[in-house]
Amino acid sequence: MTHRILIIDDEDDIRQVAAMSLETVAGWDVVLANSGKQGIERASSEQPDAILLDVMMPEMDGPTTLLKLKANGSTSHIPVLLLTAKVQGPDQRKFAEMGVKAILFKPFDPLTLARQISAALGWKEGG
Amino acid sequence: MTNSDRISPDENQSQEQKLQSMISALWERSRHTVVERAARLRTAGDLLSDNRLDRATQQSAVDSAHKLAGVLGTFGLPRGTDLAREAEVLFGQPTPPGKVEIERLQVLLAELTTLIDRGPLGPG
Repeated sequence: MTHRILIIDDEDDIRQVAAMSLETVAGWDVVLANSGKQGIERASSEQPDAILLDVMMPEMDGPTTLLKLKANGSTSHIPVLLLTAKVQGPDQRKFAEMGVKAILFKPFDPLTLARQISAALGWKEGG
Repeated sequence: MTNSDRISPDENQSQEQKLQSMISALWERSRHTVVERAARLRTAGDLLSDNRLDRATQQSAVDSAHKLAGVLGTFGLPRGTDLAREAEVLFGQPTPPGKVEIERLQVLLAELTTLIDRGPLGPG
């Protein structure tokens, strides 16, 4: 089964590496967004199976984007995984309370990213 | 079913090589952004040494270090991620760092620059 993943990250490099990884290793379809605003629009129109959401973004950050996704009836059901370069912090409990399925950390290994996502979401497959 | 469920180990290896090759090509295209961020950190480090680091430049250095920390390891430079994280902490301190910390910052930024200049060594 091919999954469709929406990657929301303002970093061009990260978007591209993650997309290459998920497409090449797992054969998934990838949709990209470079901001929280664009991500919300794409989530609504593309209805991905999961969203990989960067935490630190200008204008609309990851947590704000997450709240908007969860408040929108057309996107609230889509599982969200946060992607962050912060290793520590009390934020993790707050993110879990906001409905985040998992927190993945940058840097990620492009060869195992799909496996991490699958494991977090309970998908059997994953590259 | 994913690609790895239906292809042989040889094909899997080829898939990995293909991905590594794509990431290497992306590194070459992205290198200038990484170099610019490292240069921003060195400039901020020099200003800090001269006690002339303003708040905006400090925040820019924290942001640049954070971005570098996130991306370098993904491109195969895990040591670069460690150094960038350390720089993020040192630049992000609420109180001005002391002489020892400033010296450490200069050393780690020099190592970071060398690492970025050298680039990822690639697979194998």
